[in-house]
Amino acid sequence: MSEQFEPNIVAFLCNWCSYAGADLAGTSRTHYPANLKVIRVMCTGRINPLFVLNALQQGADGVLVSGCHPGDCHYMEGNMYARRRFRLMKDLLEYLGVDSRRFHMSWVSASEGGKWKEVVEKVVDEVSEIGPFEQFKREKINW
Amino acid sequence: MVDLETIRKKAKEIVSREDVKHLIGWRKGTFGYRVTPYWVEAPEDAEELVYSPLCNTNLATSLTLAEKLPLPKGQEPDRRKTALLVRGCDSRAVVQLLTERGVDREQVVLLGLPCRGVVDLRKLKDSYPEDNEVADAEWKEDKIVLNVSGEKKEIPREEVLDDHCLVCRYPNPVEADETLGEKVEPWAEESHPGVEELENASFDKRWDFWEKEFERCIRCYACRNACPMCYCEDCILDRLNPTWIYRSNNYSENTAFHIARAFHLVGRCVSCGACERVCPAGIPLGKINQKLVKEVREKYEFEPGTDPEGVPFQASYNPQDQEDFIL
Amino acid sequence: MSEKVLQKANWSSFVQALADARELWFPVKDGPIYKFAPYSGDVDAGLEEYAYSSVPPKAVVLPQTETMFLYQVGDKETSLPEEKKEKVVLGARPCDARAMDIVDRVFQWDEDDPYYLENRNKTAVIGLACNEPFVNCFCTSLDGSPGSTQGLDVLMVDLGDKYYLRSVTDKGSRILGDAESALEDASGEGSQAEEIIKEAEGKIKRSIDTEGIREKLEEGWEAPLWDEVSRACLGCGACTFLCPTCHCFDIQDEVEGFDGRRCRMWDSCMFGEYTLHTSGHNPRPSRKERTRNRISHKYRYYVEKFDKIACVGCGRCITSCPVNIDILDILSRVKEEL
Repeated sequence: MSEQFEPNIVAFLCNWCSYAGADLAGTSRTHYPANLKVIRVMCTGRINPLFVLNALQQGADGVLVSGCHPGDCHYMEGNMYARRRFRLMKDLLEYLGVDSRRFHMSWVSASEGGKWKEVVEKVVDEVSEIGPFEQFKREKINW
Repeated sequence: MVDLETIRKKAKEIVSREDVKHLIGWRKGTFGYRVTPYWVEAPEDAEELVYSPLCNTNLATSLTLAEKLPLPKGQEPDRRKTALLVRGCDSRAVVQLLTERGVDREQVVLLGLPCRGVVDLRKLKDSYPEDNEVADAEWKEDKIVLNVSGEKKEIPREEVLDDHCLVCRYPNPVEADETLGEKVEPWAEESHPGVEELENASFDKRWDFWEKEFERCIRCYACRNACPMCYCEDCILDRLNPTWIYRSNNYSENTAFHIARAFHLVGRCVSCGACERVCPAGIPLGKINQKLVKEVREKYEFEPGTDPEGVPFQASYNPQDQEDFIL
Repeated sequence: MSEKVLQKANWSSFVQALADARELWFPVKDGPIYKFAPYSGDVDAGLEEYAYSSVPPKAVVLPQTETMFLYQVGDKETSLPEEKKEKVVLGARPCDARAMDIVDRVFQWDEDDPYYLENRNKTAVIGLACNEPFVNCFCTSLDGSPGSTQGLDVLMVDLGDKYYLRSVTDKGSRILGDAESALEDASGEGSQAEEIIKEAEGKIKRSIDTEGIREKLEEGWEAPLWDEVSRACLGCGACTFLCPTCHCFDIQDEVEGFDGRRCRMWDSCMFGEYTLHTSGHNPRPSRKERTRNRISHKYRYYVEKFDKIACVGCGRCITSCPVNIDILDILSRVKEEL
């Protein structure tokens, strides 16, 4: 592969904070890597760990989950549940051998366009370092 | 410990009660080292009950196994209670079910038994091949005494006990209406066998290990069904729309299945080891569950199935939960 | 019919000769279990320690997941998967080969199933007679034997320092011909093999008299017995997935991007959603009906259709059941109580 590896990253953003934060970064004409496929959900608490699994199976090289800062959740506590859930999801994935740099979670509020840029840059950098995800990606096995 | 006659006598007493439908215990199997769950309906059936290191199923599973079928018109539901023999892990499973409202405390009678651990059939069969003769076993201090057609063999416990039992923290029931016999002390300090070893390996080494294990899976779902905590009426694995995890058998889908299964047990697994013992392909499922048990305990000081008044782990939070992993 | 002898010293060249001529499937130790896998060059993995494969060799002819056809999403064209290769299964137990014979009938009784039949016709089976039967073997109760040749192309008997091989079909003779260089002509080993088989037959401890079971199953449809024997059942698919004669499958579509395939995979009548209708109605709503169906299918429905019991007595369902649901126990209760 002579071309530089461009990772494919799926980002699940909460409607009220991170999605608006990403929007702000866009309207402020901030430049950041375009490797993200954004999926908007109402709250990080709504993100089923199966979403993360399925993204990895279907060809994502990394996954980012982003929501409101603790205390700012539109639904009061959705992100608190998500924090527990994804802490352990990350532990489990790492334990099975998925590199810790593949799965990230961040808090980005609606006013943090600048932070959003930093988060995306960091995630893209880290995933670029480790290369494509091939461990349990769905592929045509015995087709 | 407790002798069999006491258990049978007590079981008879419980089954004779008018408000009790049946008592679930174990009886001898049909060959070798097998023991099968047994429903005691009448007082005289209690004579068949056994209690030994061979009782390796978690009886709490039977509470949620029974299908809730619609009754024929005019028929009243049987509201009598179900009695259950519980050891440490069975009782923890019942407690966890109570916190999840999976079981109504008023509907169960728990007869507690102290436990010195159950054998891992795979370990036992490796050193002492199974025969047609129905064998018996008992605990004797720190050994297991295996009795095959009258011939007794003393076996050190490390050789045959399930890994989960060797480091069990709750050998005595945490919840019971009555506990028989004397309390016992745990065998060892808490540890998570096999987990540390993998934790210290590189990511690639870990995946090499798990890929081989998962590839062998035949997706019979025995692990799911044997687990007392897996009782969803509509399991994600049986769902077709959407099909989150394809049914084809390959390492990708099998990995997804095992991650999903393990993750549904975060903060719920009571470390009974039933999943690993029933696996016909011998996948070390306990190593995944124990990792999560360890993380939940270390990071959140939470232990499932210990507090009947508690709140399920994933349905609660602490504002101070750690978030060092968050960007 | 040809009779040959294979010295164990020539084992690796025999295996290599088979693998050169066809795709060779071999019992491979995978973790604590044996299952059949394509030969990968590891000749040392002989058959010395192998007792029986936990996953039966039905998986070679009826793979757990099998592609039926491929398509592009949004396109009406379909294409077939690659043609199957000529295979040879080495080391199947005689009961597993008899099981293939039983499954064969199902896949050609009304419509021919091209996927299965293609695979089956291209597969030759070299069976290994059992010198030491296993704990739950009861093949002799079902017209089988540790040296049965039904469904086999070649029968192989372990004589200690050598194997005795006898071809049963023309296909078997051809296979022995392919591996001729490693073989010697037999001289009287045949009778030695017969003795070993006879001796093994005597070692089988479990049995059932199948006389009258079919009628009893019909009469005792609503008997309370079914409640009792199924109560401990966990509803897992270990008994059916590991059964050499169970052949039910489920058909699913899988899509990767725009590439799609229709495939079929093993299904188990012990699963709740096996009989679940779209309406939500389930004609077999509980483990009682499912257990009854599993037994009845083998000992009643199949018998009514093909005049043969769809069980070969391998004992896998008994050994692998996590809660010790024992088909022999159920059958003897059926005989006594119904």
